[in-house]
Amino acid sequence: MVEIVLGTALAAIGAGLAVGLAGLGSGIGQGIAAAGSVGAVAEDPDMFARGIIFTALPETQAIYGFLIAILLLVFSGIMNPSLTLNVSQGIIAVGAGAAIGFAGLGSGMGQGITASSAVGAVVEEPDMFARGIIFTALSETQAIYGFLIAILLMVFAKILGG
Amino acid sequence: MVEDITTLVTALGFPSYEIFLAVMILAIIVIGAIVVITTIRPVLEFFPYTYPNARVRARTGRLFTEKEFSEIVESQNIEEVKNYLRGVPDYAKYIDTYPLEKALDSQLAETYDLIARITPDNSKDSFKFLLKKWDIKNIKSIIIAKEAGLNHEQTVDLVVPFGELSNKLDSLIETDSVEEVLNALEGTEYPRILEDAIPIYKETGLLLPLEASMDKYLLENLLKTSATPEDDNTALLHSYIGTLVDVANIKIILRAKADNLKYEDIEPYMVSDGYEIREWKLKELMEAEDVSGVISGLEGTDYAPMLSDAMTEFTETGSMANFEKLLDTYVVKTAKGISLKNQFGIGPMIGFLSRKETEVRNLKIIARGKREAGFSSSMIKEMLV
Repeated sequence: MVEIVLGTALAAIGAGLAVGLAGLGSGIGQGIAAAGSVGAVAEDPDMFARGIIFTALPETQAIYGFLIAILLLVFSGIMNPSLTLNVSQGIIAVGAGAAIGFAGLGSGMGQGITASSAVGAVVEEPDMFARGIIFTALSETQAIYGFLIAILLMVFAKILGG
Repeated sequence: MVEDITTLVTALGFPSYEIFLAVMILAIIVIGAIVVITTIRPVLEFFPYTYPNARVRARTGRLFTEKEFSEIVESQNIEEVKNYLRGVPDYAKYIDTYPLEKALDSQLAETYDLIARITPDNSKDSFKFLLKKWDIKNIKSIIIAKEAGLNHEQTVDLVVPFGELSNKLDSLIETDSVEEVLNALEGTEYPRILEDAIPIYKETGLLLPLEASMDKYLLENLLKTSATPEDDNTALLHSYIGTLVDVANIKIILRAKADNLKYEDIEPYMVSDGYEIREWKLKELMEAEDVSGVISGLEGTDYAPMLSDAMTEFTETGSMANFEKLLDTYVVKTAKGISLKNQFGIGPMIGFLSRKETEVRNLKIIARGKREAGFSSSMIKEMLV
């Protein structure tokens, strides 16, 4: 078995937080949006395509979390044993994972709620589609902040490109 | 850096680096769990409403706009009204099958049925109980038909094929008299509900006590189904049902006072305990001398200002129509308020049900107006809620 140093083990926790929390938020958000879309499609089958679009929007948070987790796994030495992280870098990796994890959790749920509401608005008034997309996209910003901070933490801690 | 951290760990009193990390990870887990639980809890509360609300909002989008209502009101005759409704899928399926009023009621009953099926568990009891409204409406229609001597076809035209008694309707319609209808109800809850009213009917021949007992049973028990709210959603449902009860009580008292009835004449018809207007207040209102006394007695409630404004018209015309229209509008406004206040929970369902009810009521007013000679479009518009 490969000997994993403490820093790398901490980075693994960071990766878990990143994909776990972001995935949780995204999953709940997508569930809310999907439930609304199913209701809309039950009343108006033409809503299927638009329902899919709104339901897909809260997926991005999970993608951000997944990306950060992959980066952490690759550059911490778990997927590439030639690399190792020291303890400080490991702690920073936990911070990076938590940044996208919690940001993705809030953003994903928020986006799901807005998406579900937008689906309701569109099925009630089809002209609301573009405005619904704009409102729903707004909740994306929090996940982007989390994603950026996670990347910056990894870059300046020399986890990425170190 | 590592030395700095080691110094910090030692200064914090941790015997080793690993224990510090273990405590840190534990702290992250605890904080993470708190954040996750506190964030998810409110979401889970309205999550069950997501699906029904989308369905309800789709139907809300299909409700008639003011412009469409104006077009219907401007129809030349009842056939044009029917043609207009044939173009609306929700009504189209009933328009060619039933007479207009029955078609409208059937669509409304179907809406009630849909809401009762899709509403989340914590509000299901109330909406399912509300379906009894159609049983009660059907029983009332049948006993009125029997009293008026209507034939089988005419009676069938008055009955809506919805409600728990829908499979019993044929046997009820086939009876020959009011008493036979009451006998045919054996095995349902209605003989018990009507046990006090039946002797009065037998003695006086009046159907009103029978009808009032069923209305009272519906509202009283509907209020009870939501009396112990589990959350904000059920509390709002209770307040809406409470408003329906209060408005029903005020209407009964105003009508009774307009006919100079006394406390003992009115009391049997009242829903015993209202929502905002409680039992003691109802007693005070029933003991009022006249309509103006009732309105004075309502001082301090939301109902007093609007009813006071309508008092002049009542004094001039003696008509209760304006009072009733104002009270109906108040119910609609209450539902709209709940709908805006609680957009992710039960609000859209209450708002939609109220708007649908108003739409059907208005369509019935238009239909009646188009049938009666001498009713202009402007007169019909004035009557709309």
